[in-house]
Amino acid sequence: MDANHLDRRQLLAALAASTVTPFAAFQAQAQAPSFAGRKLITSGFGGSTMDIIQSAVFSPFDKESGAASTQVPMQSAAALARMKAEAGNPQIDMYQFSGGQEAFAKDEGLSQPLSGVSRLATIPADLKDPDGHWVTWAVIAEGIVYRKDKIQTPPKSYKDFFKPEYKGHIAFPAITNGYGLDFLVMLAKAYGGSEDNIEPGFEALKKIKGETIFRAASDLPTLFGQGDIWIMPYDTGNTFKVQQSGLPVAFATPEEGSPAVFITACVAKGAKNADVANAAIDTMLKPEAQIEIARTMRWTASNPDTKLPSDLAGEVPAVGQLAKLNRTKINSMRAAWTERWNREIAR
Amino acid sequence: MTQAAQSGVNGRPLWRSALVPVLLFAPCVLVYAIFFIWPQASLLGLSASDKAGLTLDHYGRFAGDSYYWDILGRTLGLGLAVTVITLLLGLPTAYVLARSQSRWAGFLLLLTTFPLLVSAVVRSFGWMVLFFKDGLVSKALQSLGLASGPVQTMYTMPGVIIALAQVLLPLMVLTLHGVFKSIDRDLEYAAMSLGARPSVALWLVTLRLARGGIVAGSLLVFSLAISAFATPSLVGGARANVMATAIYEQTVELLDWPFGATLATILLVTVLGLSLAYGALIEGREKMEARP
Repeated sequence: MDANHLDRRQLLAALAASTVTPFAAFQAQAQAPSFAGRKLITSGFGGSTMDIIQSAVFSPFDKESGAASTQVPMQSAAALARMKAEAGNPQIDMYQFSGGQEAFAKDEGLSQPLSGVSRLATIPADLKDPDGHWVTWAVIAEGIVYRKDKIQTPPKSYKDFFKPEYKGHIAFPAITNGYGLDFLVMLAKAYGGSEDNIEPGFEALKKIKGETIFRAASDLPTLFGQGDIWIMPYDTGNTFKVQQSGLPVAFATPEEGSPAVFITACVAKGAKNADVANAAIDTMLKPEAQIEIARTMRWTASNPDTKLPSDLAGEVPAVGQLAKLNRTKINSMRAAWTERWNREIAR
Repeated sequence: MTQAAQSGVNGRPLWRSALVPVLLFAPCVLVYAIFFIWPQASLLGLSASDKAGLTLDHYGRFAGDSYYWDILGRTLGLGLAVTVITLLLGLPTAYVLARSQSRWAGFLLLLTTFPLLVSAVVRSFGWMVLFFKDGLVSKALQSLGLASGPVQTMYTMPGVIIALAQVLLPLMVLTLHGVFKSIDRDLEYAAMSLGARPSVALWLVTLRLARGGIVAGSLLVFSLAISAFATPSLVGGARANVMATAIYEQTVELLDWPFGATLATILLVTVLGLSLAYGALIEGREKMEARP
């Protein structure tokens, strides 16, 4: 935090000093540093998500700075494994995570503090690392996805998964998928437990263990299509994708709160193009870029300065409207809960 | 020395002729040493150590946990089922293709390899469309009266077995086709001219001679089936956990590399043991039968 305050103060000082030549200061601020001929290798989420991020964030960044950015598709868990394997000699400069891996990366000394990211100061404190190792550049709201034609009254609560009329038409993700983990925690919360008392979550999940369990978001269209699934816990972004594929699905925010997934960015320690990566992260935090991401993927903006157009605001919850989970606790229990889940739910 | 080298094969010094097989062998050995033996050795080291030093704790964790024994059992069962299915389907196909005089035979053989030309991911998505509750398989079973309600084969072990058998069938057919082609048709005619019925000739002559190919084909299919990752992961989902998906979960998702290495080592040793036993069994029978 101190460092951020310092950054802001320095910035103000610089601005104050430059009142003599205001135009020069404006130029210095508006123009990204030139990285002509430089490369930026970053991990990406694969598929259409990666393509959209490329055109919403990296292509404008490349155009502005002259750099050439490439996203290498890999799931967050695989990305962390790659980061670990290449520690000391990273081939990938920047990593994007969606499963809380940035905290592991920091703890294991795989990342380095961001520097020169001017918009870091505007991001709320709970969306970034106190030491500046990572920053959340988008947030995905989780909740209940349901078939509008099969379920007339929108689900309100995680308790709705236990309505007898949905039996045989429920699906939920495996615990190794981050949403499966959050589902377990939210069920625990719905039935009087918490991150510290997961028992009610497992008790509830056991009641629907016979339902369809899937691993990856790529199964969603087939689950809602050929799988005859009516209700599942998932997120706004994938609801939008399934809607685009022509299926009548909708997203509902549960009264227990929508858990949020932080889409973070961090720079690998010793990255060859750390300066380019930092500039790219600054671009990702730009309101223009974040509006584009909300428009094309229904991801929530992390920069509070972002003002969504009214037609989007109704579809994408604001950062302040999301429930927040104790990720440190959840991450520390992940292995133990996975072992238990494998035995009690998937067996 | 130079004179000796120029004076032809007989005059060549002993160390030189010994050098030839070594040189021919070296590139392959080198590649294997770097890309297979060394990583395997480091896996072994990883599986038998923790922060404190050498330990057998990870093996103890496996041995004392019925959950992992189940996974190993399921994996071997999967290998066995897939091998038997591909053998039953592959033997007649390969035989007919090898014996066919038709000019279409070559084209048909090419057709059988088509599944190999499609990526495992794409193929598995095809199965997903067929295997879901509202999919083609379920509908066909219901309209034939074989099932009373919707049947979901997706995310089940039978689904994985069917999908893997389809993926690996071409390898079995190709292996067996080569062997059948190399068996002289005259041997079958000879057996039949000595009074054997065609089916007996097929059994006593052709299949016996093809035994090496059958062993090779089944070992190939078995080892690929138990180490397959994409198909079990996509078609099997969370419930049909096999060794490969468990190793992935430990190393990539839970970051427990030592235990992942332990699972990998156990799988490797089990397969090696089974393959050697299978090979020895068949070879042993061959020797017994060769005796007058």
